[in-house]
Amino acid sequence: MKQEPRKPHLPCRKKKWLPFLILLMLAIVLALTVPEAAAEVKPVYALVNCRLVPVASPSIEKGTIIVRDGLIEALGPADKVTVPADAEVIEAGGLTVYPGLISAHTNLFLETKEQEQPQTAEDFLGAYTQAATPQEFPELQVFKEIKPKKQTVEAWHRAGVTTVVVAPNRGLFQGQSVVLNLNGDQPNTMVLKQPWALHVNFTTERGGVYPSSLMGTVAFIRQKFYDASHYALHQKKYQSSPRFLKRPEYDPFLEALVPFVVDKKPIVFQCNNQEDIKRALRLIEEFKLNAVLTGCNEAWRTAEHLKKARVPLLVALDFRPPNASIYNQQGEAARKKAEAEIYPANAATLLKENISFALTSLGLSESSFARNLQAAIKAGLEPQAALRALTVEPARVLGLDRQLGTLEPGKIANLILTRGDLFGEKTRVVRVLVDGILFNYEEKGQ
Amino acid sequence: MFSRITCFKKYLPLSFLIILLLTTWLLSPAEARTDVKNSDTGSALLAIVNVRIVPVVGQDIPSGTILVENGKIRALGANLEIPAGARIIEARGLTAYPGMIDGYSSLGLVEISGVSATVDNRETGRINPQVKAIEALKYDSMHIPIARSNGIVAAVVAPSGGLIAGQSTLVKLDGWTNREMVIKESLALVVELPGIRGGRRGFMGMGTQQAAVSTDRALAELKELFHRARMYEIRREQAAKNLLLPRPDFDETSHCLLPVVKGELPVIFSVQADKDILQTIRFVQEEKIKAIFYGVHQGYKVAGEIKKAGIPCLIGSLYDQPPVWEDGYDSLFMNPVLLNQAGVKIAFSSSSSSAAKDLPYHAAKAAAFGLDRLEALKAVTIYPAEIFGVDKLMGSLEAGKLANIVLADGDLLELGTRIEKVFIEGREVDLSNRYTELLEKFRKREREK
Amino acid sequence: MKNLTRLPVFILLLVIMLAGSANWLLAAGSLLIKNATILPVTGPPITGGDVLVIDGIIKQIGRNLTAPPGIRIIEAHGKYLIPGIIDTHTHLALSGTNEGTEAITPEVNMADVINPDDPAIFTALSGGVTMVHTMHGSANVIGGVNVVLKMKWGQPSEKLVVREAYPTLKFALGENVKQSNRTLLPGRPQRYPATRMGANAIIRRELLRARDYMAEWDRYEKLKNSKNPPANLLPPKKDLRLETLADLLRGKLYARCHAYVATEMVEFLNLAREFGFKVAALEHAWEAYKITDELLAAGVGISVFIDSWAYKMEAAEGIAYNASYCTQRGVLVSINSDSSERVRRLFNEAGKAVKYGLTPDEALKMITINAARQLGVDRLVGSIEVGKQADLALFNEHPMSAYTRCDLTIIEGEVYFDRQQVIKEREEAARKGGN
Repeated sequence: MKQEPRKPHLPCRKKKWLPFLILLMLAIVLALTVPEAAAEVKPVYALVNCRLVPVASPSIEKGTIIVRDGLIEALGPADKVTVPADAEVIEAGGLTVYPGLISAHTNLFLETKEQEQPQTAEDFLGAYTQAATPQEFPELQVFKEIKPKKQTVEAWHRAGVTTVVVAPNRGLFQGQSVVLNLNGDQPNTMVLKQPWALHVNFTTERGGVYPSSLMGTVAFIRQKFYDASHYALHQKKYQSSPRFLKRPEYDPFLEALVPFVVDKKPIVFQCNNQEDIKRALRLIEEFKLNAVLTGCNEAWRTAEHLKKARVPLLVALDFRPPNASIYNQQGEAARKKAEAEIYPANAATLLKENISFALTSLGLSESSFARNLQAAIKAGLEPQAALRALTVEPARVLGLDRQLGTLEPGKIANLILTRGDLFGEKTRVVRVLVDGILFNYEEKGQ
Repeated sequence: MFSRITCFKKYLPLSFLIILLLTTWLLSPAEARTDVKNSDTGSALLAIVNVRIVPVVGQDIPSGTILVENGKIRALGANLEIPAGARIIEARGLTAYPGMIDGYSSLGLVEISGVSATVDNRETGRINPQVKAIEALKYDSMHIPIARSNGIVAAVVAPSGGLIAGQSTLVKLDGWTNREMVIKESLALVVELPGIRGGRRGFMGMGTQQAAVSTDRALAELKELFHRARMYEIRREQAAKNLLLPRPDFDETSHCLLPVVKGELPVIFSVQADKDILQTIRFVQEEKIKAIFYGVHQGYKVAGEIKKAGIPCLIGSLYDQPPVWEDGYDSLFMNPVLLNQAGVKIAFSSSSSSAAKDLPYHAAKAAAFGLDRLEALKAVTIYPAEIFGVDKLMGSLEAGKLANIVLADGDLLELGTRIEKVFIEGREVDLSNRYTELLEKFRKREREK
Repeated sequence: MKNLTRLPVFILLLVIMLAGSANWLLAAGSLLIKNATILPVTGPPITGGDVLVIDGIIKQIGRNLTAPPGIRIIEAHGKYLIPGIIDTHTHLALSGTNEGTEAITPEVNMADVINPDDPAIFTALSGGVTMVHTMHGSANVIGGVNVVLKMKWGQPSEKLVVREAYPTLKFALGENVKQSNRTLLPGRPQRYPATRMGANAIIRRELLRARDYMAEWDRYEKLKNSKNPPANLLPPKKDLRLETLADLLRGKLYARCHAYVATEMVEFLNLAREFGFKVAALEHAWEAYKITDELLAAGVGISVFIDSWAYKMEAAEGIAYNASYCTQRGVLVSINSDSSERVRRLFNEAGKAVKYGLTPDEALKMITINAARQLGVDRLVGSIEVGKQADLALFNEHPMSAYTRCDLTIIEGEVYFDRQQVIKEREEAARKGGN
């Protein structure tokens, strides 16, 4: 088994057919002349002489890790792991191998339509007179919208990120997100989980259409949650017997909500400030939702609530004080000071309060993500905890902890190789493996 | 554009209806002319006796007499002989103060701020040196008798909006027509420089830095306009001397700016931020114009420079938020205190029409935060008179000055004080107003029972 | 940090710093104010009086009181101690004021959008205000459910809410809901209602609808509790909009109605009688002086400006005698700010009523006990009485004088605003800035 390359979806008992199938496939491949398909047979890699940080277990100073078929096959101290005969040996002396980082909330690969802000009086007039259309898309699958770009993928590799959640970002009921492995630019091959969660935001951008305010938004969301429950119940009752009942009218909006509100698939609430967190917690309590909070850069201010609620947290490493915050209302100097000194300590405080969280790059470029991660560590976040918050913690939130988050045999081979400690200022990510596909970022002269 | 016109046409009858209703209401017989009523001619000899006198300049007189003749104060003192034939006004228990002067208001230009048919203070466009407040002043405004019944006898009425808002006027609050009210027909040109805050968003507004940039631009634009006016004048003069020279076409803006650039007509600069104030001081000095500042929210930060430049300040309404949080919650209240202590000449203003009556309370507010009470009183009487160059006529109780006298049952600036009588140029004015009239009207219901 | 901009941080940290000191922890919410002129509002003034506060509650009022050890003593000689000022109509400490898109939005709740970081809370404190009724705006005929907050600057939102207060629902009539002061835009139809007739018709329609909704639930409950309920019995759809209105009809909510002209006030009181709902107060009520009989008959008070008037047509007969005259006729009157600026000089606004006929005591009541009664919290606050919560404000002059200034604001025995402290920190910051 170990020695033989195989297609993972082929059951073992059909081994006899294997050569035939391979031939057939090759024939098809040749016939279609699609060169990418050649990558279907992934090389076996043996990374040797490297330091291994498996996260789930103690580090190994001089180790070997074997990657086969996109999965981690084995790892351990150099003297305990045999390099397979068919492996391509990669000398990784001086490098450290970590599990690839997971950013459990991004808006990558979305075509962002810059919303034109009205400037002149005429613009405002125009904005006001345009017939406003509701912009709610709970049924939207962001997967269908994304256009991955190689450049973006590589930029995030350099920041150590190998897995991302891509979530939609418009409206209140924004739609459903997808979990992607950054293994290239083909959406279908990248998908780890589709859909993952329904994303809900409290901030409305619209004028003129209900709800146009935060207070309206909260009421609107509650009403829709009640409606979805009633809709599901109505259908159930009608199926059991239509007697005395009106036939429930098909409603795509509520239809999309039912799996999340009734069947308790995850709902992610975007929390842009401390009060959003409380608003979300109240909704979770009222509707007994399976929910995740994201954004949360003021989470430390609601530590008491979060301790009680034990809701998974996706904390963005975004240190800009939110608009509503006191830190944003006492002048420019106070705002800058808060951005530099107060908000970076968010994660450290959560750690101290024993609240578990995953860190995300929401709203950040890859460079500010890396910079802010260092700032958070400087502000007291232990590097070990930071690493967990970007690996095992998000894997658990995503329900992918059997596949991702640590270096363990059988898990997906998402690895990053760094020169230096992952969170060091001068550290560089020099190689990345995603699904066992190798990306080389060694700079010339190194 | 087309649709907007049709829309306007569509609602034209409605607008007419509103105007018609308003006119009937404003001219309804029940209230006609009670707003402006001269109860006597002011020529007879008048003696206000047994009155406590606060002349504002000079010592208070615990009990004395004020003699009024031909609209002027003939004499005042503790032991004056009362000439025979004088009409005697017994004022025991009352205090005589000089009538107050509102340093900046929209009295007579804004009646009901939300009803545009009654609003005349804001011309369209940005550069309007040609518009004059006096020419639109509604002399029978319902706000004037109310202000008067709080002891205010004169006010600056200023247009607003744009960069050059127009020409302000100084009027007394009495007269059968707008022209009868005139003290100074054109008091000063009003220039509005950008404020500190963008929009109405309290502390979250723009920083002073941003404001300074646009003030830069505004002052550059003014400089250009002033230069154009000077060149216009020179070329017109040259063309008058030499008939062969082409004469520049008539230029309204330049024409109206001539008194300013010649230093004849002062400019009231509405300016708030410290940096903007400094820039404006430089501008005033370079342009050699007469200037008065208005608003000056952050004036206290550059009080020394304002004092050095000798520019008086009309304090904007204290019914406002501090421009930026960093200034501290009380910065607007401390501002007049600190300016006064630095030796800057200040006068308070209502910056309003419907709240013009609150002028004394702005002064008292500053006193609550440390302004000497007499200085506070001066800043609504003699200081504005000095700033507007009418201190020979009014602003204090002194022999020879106009008899603008207020008889109050207590401290002039105090909230609960009632004004018993007001004399403007010796004439006792009617203190009934819209408040008292409506109250009386509906009290009848109670009495009918 | 080389300038004054550090000041706000200091101000913000004031409460935290005080809370951090050991002495303070020892006696949180406890203090002794000595030698003040106490204006209890519900009783005669006490000169040279002391007030002892333990755990946020007024324990003793008298002369020469002694403080238990560890309690902060505030010397207030020559100063005036009054109950914390209560503002019955504001929109502060909220993220947003209106859900103005639809004519009816009773489903929205101000408690959902409290922002404890709004600097207006500090502004209010600086004017001696300790409690506000913060409300939905007047963009629509039925707005949302309002909330009463204490101005505990620096505390989390949930600690601000006064749960004992009347739950109230905002109504609005007249020019704002008619949108008569808006420029009509081409291509945009005017929203219904465009008249006062329409506004009333909408209220009636919605209340009738709410009655139907209640009946529908009653029918369901009856069926459910019957002997043989059908297996597929479906409950009615929960409608948050109608739930709120049903609560109004059930008497669980009180109406507070923004109204200006006499007719609309009379008609609203008629609607209340027609549907049997409670009215806590009429807001602005500029023409209340014309209908004091009707107000007295209905037992409804008013929450008004003292003299902010003539900003629109319906405020053109708003006379400064309104509050005084209505008070003299026996109507319960409070003075409100409706503004994050006016809130800090609400005492000045009340003081103006003295000119228009009230005694200073009566004027002070309009921003303390009267306001508390209108909010349903007069058993807790609104006067200085033993057993009430120690929400207090200290003024350097009589609070109804134009020359007065608030020096100290206390909520439940804790100092939330201290002018001396603000000045001290400002000087400290300036000294540091000067170095």
